[in-house]
Parts: sequence; C-alpha cells; structure tokens
Amino acid sequence: MLVLVLVPCLIQAQEIPDRPEKLKFSPLVYDPPSPIDYRVEMPSGAIVYIYPDRERPLIDLSVNIRGGSYLDPDGKEGLAALTGYLMARGGIPSKPADELDEELEFFAARLSSSFSGLNGSVSLNLLSKDADRGFEILRAVLAAPSFQQDKLDLRKTQVIQGLKKRNDDSSSIESRERNFLAYGNDFWFNRHPTTASIETIRREDLLEFHHRWVNPKNFIISVSGDFDRDEMLKRLNRMLDPWPHEGRLAPDVPQRQQYGKPGVYIVDKDVNQGRVSIIMPGIRWDDPDYYAIQIMNDILGGGGFTSRITNRVRSDEGLAYSARSFFPGGAFYPIVFRAGFQSKSRTVVFATSIVLEEIKKIIEEPVKAKEILTAKKSFIDTFPNNFSSPAQVVSQFASDEMIGRFSKQPDYWVKYRDRIDVVDIAAVQRVAKKHLNLDKVIVLIVGQKQSILDGHPDHPIDIKRLTAGKVRELPMRNPLTMQPEK
Amino acid sequence: MLRYFFLVSVLMGVEFAQGQQVDVKERTLSNGMKLLMLERHHSPTIAGGWVVRVGSVNERPGITGIAHLFEHMMFKGTPTIGTRDAKRDAEIINEQERVRDAMRLEEAKMRLALRRGEIGDLQKPENKTPRYRELEVEFNNLIKEQREVLVKNEFDRIYTTAGASGMNAFTSNDMTGYFITVPANKLEMWTWMESERLLSPVFREFYAERDVVFEERRMRTESTPLGKFQESLEALFWESHPYGWPVIGWPSDIPSISKAQADEFYSIYYAPQNITLVLVGDFKVDVAEQLCEKYFGRIPRGEKKLPEIVTAEVTQKVEKRMNAEAEANPQVDILWHSPASGHPDSRALKVLAAVLSGRSGRLHKSLVLGSKLATSAFAQQMSRKYAGMFNVGGEAKEPKTPLDVENAIYVEIERLKNELVSGRELQKVKNNFAAMAVRRTSSNFHMLLQLIQYEGVVGWKAINTEIPSILEVTAEDVQRVAKKYLTKENRTVATYTRKAGVKVPDDPALAGLSADQQAVVRRISSQIKSEKNKERLQQQLKTMEEQLGQAGDKQKGLMNIIMVKIAERLAELSK
Repeated sequence: MLVLVLVPCLIQAQEIPDRPEKLKFSPLVYDPPSPIDYRVEMPSGAIVYIYPDRERPLIDLSVNIRGGSYLDPDGKEGLAALTGYLMARGGIPSKPADELDEELEFFAARLSSSFSGLNGSVSLNLLSKDADRGFEILRAVLAAPSFQQDKLDLRKTQVIQGLKKRNDDSSSIESRERNFLAYGNDFWFNRHPTTASIETIRREDLLEFHHRWVNPKNFIISVSGDFDRDEMLKRLNRMLDPWPHEGRLAPDVPQRQQYGKPGVYIVDKDVNQGRVSIIMPGIRWDDPDYYAIQIMNDILGGGGFTSRITNRVRSDEGLAYSARSFFPGGAFYPIVFRAGFQSKSRTVVFATSIVLEEIKKIIEEPVKAKEILTAKKSFIDTFPNNFSSPAQVVSQFASDEMIGRFSKQPDYWVKYRDRIDVVDIAAVQRVAKKHLNLDKVIVLIVGQKQSILDGHPDHPIDIKRLTAGKVRELPMRNPLTMQPEK
Repeated sequence: MLRYFFLVSVLMGVEFAQGQQVDVKERTLSNGMKLLMLERHHSPTIAGGWVVRVGSVNERPGITGIAHLFEHMMFKGTPTIGTRDAKRDAEIINEQERVRDAMRLEEAKMRLALRRGEIGDLQKPENKTPRYRELEVEFNNLIKEQREVLVKNEFDRIYTTAGASGMNAFTSNDMTGYFITVPANKLEMWTWMESERLLSPVFREFYAERDVVFEERRMRTESTPLGKFQESLEALFWESHPYGWPVIGWPSDIPSISKAQADEFYSIYYAPQNITLVLVGDFKVDVAEQLCEKYFGRIPRGEKKLPEIVTAEVTQKVEKRMNAEAEANPQVDILWHSPASGHPDSRALKVLAAVLSGRSGRLHKSLVLGSKLATSAFAQQMSRKYAGMFNVGGEAKEPKTPLDVENAIYVEIERLKNELVSGRELQKVKNNFAAMAVRRTSSNFHMLLQLIQYEGVVGWKAINTEIPSILEVTAEDVQRVAKKYLTKENRTVATYTRKAGVKVPDDPALAGLSADQQAVVRRISSQIKSEKNKERLQQQLKTMEEQLGQAGDKQKGLMNIIMVKIAERLAELSK
C-alpha cells in the first residue's frame, strides 16, 4: 500500500475562506493492495489469504467454507445451520463441550462457527501466546467435531423456541415476505426451517453434512495478526493435512428463482408504523452495467442524504426516519432492486407514491452533473476504506475468492475507480431505463391494513394506481410451519 | 501509536495481565475546548468527531427529546451552507416562526379539547382545528418559498463530494456525539465544516425534522415487540432521576418542541468549554492542533453557566414489578440501582456480571444447562454518568415461566452473597477484561467512538485506567457489592408473557394438547428418535395399542401422537 499525503504549511497565516470549496488540498495517491501478494494455495486445496501484523498480540482467523443451507436436504431444513452452530459448540474428541467452553473462556479466546445460506465460517480470535493450543482446538472443531447429543437437543429446543418469534417483529415479516415475492416459493432460501424439519434432524445427519462438505477443498481462510508468515503457513498446513474425510466440492447454487406478480401486497399487522419494500428484478455483480447502476442507485436512494429518495421522503416531508434504495448486484444469483422506508400508517401510501415518482423521474430525465459528481466521489474517494486494516484486507479478498471475483476479475480493485469514473449522465439514464422496470414493480406493506388504506386527507392517493397489478392481502404465516394461515 | 505494558496485578492467582495503553495527546484550545488526538497510520483516513456533554439527562418535562432533536438539526447547515440566499432564508424562518406561534395557540386549544373528551388522538389529522389547517396551508407555502433558495442537504453533499463517509451522530442519556471519516488530506475540510456548524448553525426545516424524529420513535419504540415496555420499565425504575424519560422523548413532547427552545438549548450547552474534539488516524499531531486552534478557536467561549444536575434518584424502599403481555417469548428483566460510572463499586459489579455471563458463566451453567429453565440468560452492569443499573435477565424455556427463571436468578445472586467467587473464576473474567484492552483497537472509527464515550461520561483517561482497576477487584469486593446492591427492595422486575390472542400455533401434531402435555410429547419423541433397538420399539407400540382402549379422551390424543412417532422411527430404522 502506497500512501502519500502532503501536509499544509503556514496554517495560521492564511485566512479562513467563506466556503469550503476554496480550501486547497494536497493530492492523495493510493494504490490498493493486490490479492496476489496475500494469496497462497495450500496442497490440500484450501486457499489462504495471509497478512502478518504485529500491532497487537492477537491472531484473527476465519475459515470460510463453501456450502450452506442451500444444501439442506428436503424435509431437513435447518440442518446446515445446526451443523454450523454445533461444530464449535458440540464438543471435540478430547474434550466435552462444557469443558471446552471453560478452557476457551479462560484464555479469553473467541471461537465460533456457523453456516448461513451460501457459506459457513469457523472463526478464531485469540492472544498470540495461546496459538498452539488454539490451533489444536481449531483442527478438532473443523475435522472431528463431536456433535454431542445433549448439545444437539439443547440447540434444537432453542431453535424451535426461536421460531415462535417469527411474527413478533414487523421487520422480520417484511424481509421474509419480500424474499417470497422476489424469488418464489421454490427458491432455496425460501425453504425455511419448521418445527417438523428441526425435529427430524438427528446427530447422524449432522455428521453426514459435516463429512460431506467441511473439507479443505471448500475452505478459503483469511488470517491476520501477530505471527510469522512462513510459520503460520506451516501451522495451517499441519491443520489441514491429512484430512479424515474425502468430502465433496460444494455444488453450484441452484437457480430456481421466480419473480412474483406485480402489484401491492399487504400483510395486516397491528403496529402504528407501516414498513414498505418496493422491488424490481435485479442484476449480478459481473453485469457490464454494474458500475453505472451503482452510480444511478446512489443518486436515486443509495447515497443517504445526498440521494433523492431520502431528500424527498425524509427531509422534505418528514415521512420516515430511513428511506433508501439498494441495487447490490448478486454473486450467485441476481439480487432484486429494493427501495424501502417506514412511515406512520396514514402516510404509507403517500410516501410510496413519492418513491415511485422518483424512480419514474430517474428513468425519464437525465440526472444533474452535480449529482453524478457527488456519487462518483463517494465511491472513488472513499476507496481506501475497503482496506483500512490487515483483517479487512484479508477478509475482503477471501470474500472476493468466495464469490468468484478473484478468478473472473483479478484486477477488479485496480480497475474499480476508473470504471466508476467513466460513468456519465447518458450511461446513468440508459441503465435506469434498462434495469428499472416499473411494469414489474411489487410493493409489499406490513402494517395496520385499515389505517393504511384510509390514507391521509391531505394526500389522497389511490393505492390501486401505485402499480400495474392488483392490491392483495397476504396471509400471515404460521411461524412454526411457515404455511399461510386461513 | 500504541505501546504495550505489562500490568502486574496485586491479586493472587493473576500473575500477568496484558494491557494496552492508548497514547492520546490532550490539548486545550484558547476558548476552553478540549482536543484529543491519536495518530494511527494504517490507512490514509482520519476519523474525526466531537462530544458535547449534554444528553436527555439535561432536559425537563415538556422538552424531553430536545437533545436528540437538536442532534438532527446540526446537519441542516449554516448561513452559507444550505441556502443560496442567507438573508431571504433567515426572513422566511422568522415568518415560519410567526405562523408556528399561531399554530401553538391552536395546539393549546386541541389539548384542552382532548382533556374535555371532545377529541381523541392529537396525532389524528381529522382532529386538527379549522384555524390550524388554515395556518398549516400558510406554513406549507412558506416551506415552498424556502425551497426556492434551499440547497438540499448541502452540508452532507460537500463532505461526500470530498470523499468523506459515515457521517452520523448519536444522543444518549449523558452525551451527544458527532463523527465522520475523511481522507487523510482533508483534515482542514473537517475543521472548516465542524467549526462552522458549531459557530453558526441554522435550524432550517425544523418542523419536518421533528416529524422525522417522531417516525424514529415509532420505528424504535412504538412498533417493536418490546420497545414500549422497555420504556415503561425505565420510567418505573427511575423515580426522581431525569434518566426516567426516554432519550427520544415522550410522544407529547416531540411534536411541541419549538425552535426557540432549541436556540436556548444551543446557547447553554453547545459552548466550547462543554465540548471535546477527537481525532484518530493518519495525521500529525502538531498540524492537527494548529488547524483546530485556527478553526475551532474562533468560537467564543460560552457565557452561560452550565446547570448542574442536582436531582438524584431517591432511595428505593420497595420492590417494583410490572408484567407485560407482549408479542415475545416469555422472559424476565431485572434492574437494580447501582452506582455511577466513576464509582469504584461499578467495577466490582462489572466483574460480578462477568462471573454470571458467558458460555461458561454461572447463569448459563445453572439455568440453561443445569435446571434447563431458560434458553438463554445474561447479566450486565450499565454505568452512566450520574447513576447505574445492574441488569440480569433471561428467556424461559417453555413451558417454564418467567417467574421460574427469576427465582433461579435469585439463587445465583444469593450464592454470590454467601460464598466468595473462586480464584479460577475471578482469573477467567480478568483474563477477558485484559484481552478486551488488546482487542479494542480494531479501527480508527471504533477507537474514536470509545474515546467519545469515555470522555462523555468520566473523561477519556478511563480508557487506560478502567481495565487496570477492574483487575484489582477482589473476591471480597464482589461479595460486598452483591450484598450491598442486589437486594429485593433495590430492584425493579419486568416479566413478559406472550400476549393472549396472538396465536402461536404449535406443531400441528401437538395442537389441542396443553403446554405440559406438549413437553411430555417432545421429551418422549426425542427418546424415541434416539432409540436404535427395533424390537423394544415394537414392544412399546404393542403395549400402547393394548392400553389405548382404556385410556381417557385426553390421554388418547397424547398416546396417538406418541404411537405415530414410534411408527415413524420404526420405518426409519427399517430403511
């Protein structure tokens, strides 16, 4: 990393200007770190990103594992999550779980494991003086977790009791139903754990899942902190080789998504603030329009107080605390565009109409030069924030490796600022027209249905005219079976 | 930069504790404003912020929420930032205030109508008086006029265009903090922008922002499962202390705070001698100091005397309880009055909380693993500037109740009073506190936030002294504070049970069974599922079939379910 900053001299001699634009700044030259300098392919097939850093006597390590709940067998939804949680919490051959917890907490080490939708991780953060014992435990947790029956029973009870909370918070209902509308009932992450699926999961299932997917071929390891590079690589090699199970390479993520019918969907929930999600079909990160879309979305609603949706819904009208849009670009499947806010029941429809108006406006009219400048600067000049610490450098690169960015575009970060910089007004309008498809808009509202439909006397907006589709009520789902009620 | 030192504890059993000294440079500007600087050169960025020693504790009934609303207003600009025509902008703001004064007269009438029972909810648009609606139209016209000269969110746009990011602020009971990250070459931009808004803030768009804050209240407090109850719990807990009202403000107060009240608030509390600047990152201390003196030094020292908080909490004489029916799993939350952050006992209570917490802590071992009354449990000491709260709670494992969990918590508390904590337990928690000092320097921004938080409560130096003093806590100290603070008459208890009528249907197979019967089925099914002997299962099934004829209706339901589970298991084993 090359950093060059020149400091201003003769500070007191100059007058304070009346506008900040009149201040002069020395140039800041910054080259991003290159993944090649940190990347090591291990004989076992694992990929390691390594960054020694002696500032603190700590080691921070994360074993990222390809695979996740998309691999849950039918009827055993929740298996990946249980396996992930219990790797570090279900004991190891040399020590039962409770004693292991006691030992780890005694030397103030943090060890945790999990599997989410698309990947898993086992993380260890400990004082470097405890490295020998820490890596011994880590090896056991990765290669031979015991999955103690009593710990499995306890976790299942906790998970089942946790399922009961699914309809308590309107935000959980909103994100769940949004995913059903955006990706369809058959998409892997809309197969939710239920009481029945959790209850059928046995210890043998965990062992099978573990033996099949947790192996070095699926590992991407990021490690930073107080160690010698070569010694750490040797340590990691001993940890990964030999491996007790043959295992398989995690398969591609299934692509069975189906976007829902356009329209307004209301879930009736007795809270005095309605939560709104406005969605449209999305893109992947390697879409050639990705950069122009990032700029477009920043101007529309991604850029916080410099964006149009925040300005109108929040600052002008005082209708919401948070009003934003997201157009992220998926790694394994296209992720939908989303705009969202929360407003008191009576102004939900009015605020929705403003967001839709702003989407229409960015499709139809060119953005202003000033807006595009702010948006570009917000990506280009904050660029060093992506690499602000050794731990962040290796975890960023590990994540790039995971989503295939390193193999597809190894120069992604080197070219990033230039690719943002070439986006112009015409490109923004072109991608707005192409990727914001108002005919497909789905509006999801969770809140007091009747007050929302009553609307506000000062802003009479017809909810039926918000989208091309119908206004429908979505039934609440049974939190334990995920089946729609009534 | 950071350096290491080894701290030798006086305690037997703790031989070494590794700590970390945060090498902050402290200066005072000519107007009394304090400046804290910490150089770190990992990346070409600087996290900059400042803390004002004012929070909701400095408010009074009628203007609760003003410290937080004020925090929002600090982003609205200055005479030169945020408008194309400062003179016209100021005129419009004055005209708006004239209309608002007339609206306030109408609001008083609406409150009277409410007291007389003539109208219901003041927030309902239909309940506004005709005169109020006329005035509202007049006010909205002035807003439209103001937009002609307004430069929308210009303060943010200037920063963003300069490559700054993460601009935000927070308000707590004790303090208000503002922060942002700027590229290393933009330190002067930061000093310009921050000193400018401190010197001459302009509260334009005041009333729309008040509505935003009310939406924030709905979002955080009113429409979350526990928000409104946690607010009630704190109001019940604090009887006389100004910590009793919520930081966000009461719903009656937020929509009636006036711009004049905000002006008054600013002139008292936003004075240089009540503010500390904090910089962490890639800069040179001498350069930063000169820039800060040049820009912030121009703000005149405040002339008003800062009011002292004199109202202390009355000594609680009786246990207080509330039972909330909530859309939440059954749980208990217990609060005890405990000392302020600067008091040495708060550190003994932190150690005590740590003995109870964690996966190898006493609560998890006894309530979750041992008696299996709870699915989770926690303990924490929350130290504020003027007083503290010691907090223990947990979620009941159904069909156990919040009361069961509560009583089991008291058993653990009594144990702490009756027996000294073991040397090994004490060493374990101290090892974790010592490691905390090593872990805390993850990023410039997190370091900034911690300095702001220490500075706003007890002064920044505690970042270096707090952990060493925690390492000096003895087992006797822990026992003493348990006896002193964790008493029945000093506590307030909230129990939560799931709201009746909010249906949480169980496993369809278990529908119609009582909670106790469901628990029986679960226990038996888990036994069945781990049974590997087919013959034994077949024998059980046969016995149950024979008994079914004589069973009562309720038992029949239960037995049928168990028989299905056995059959399923048999099928599984035959695969």
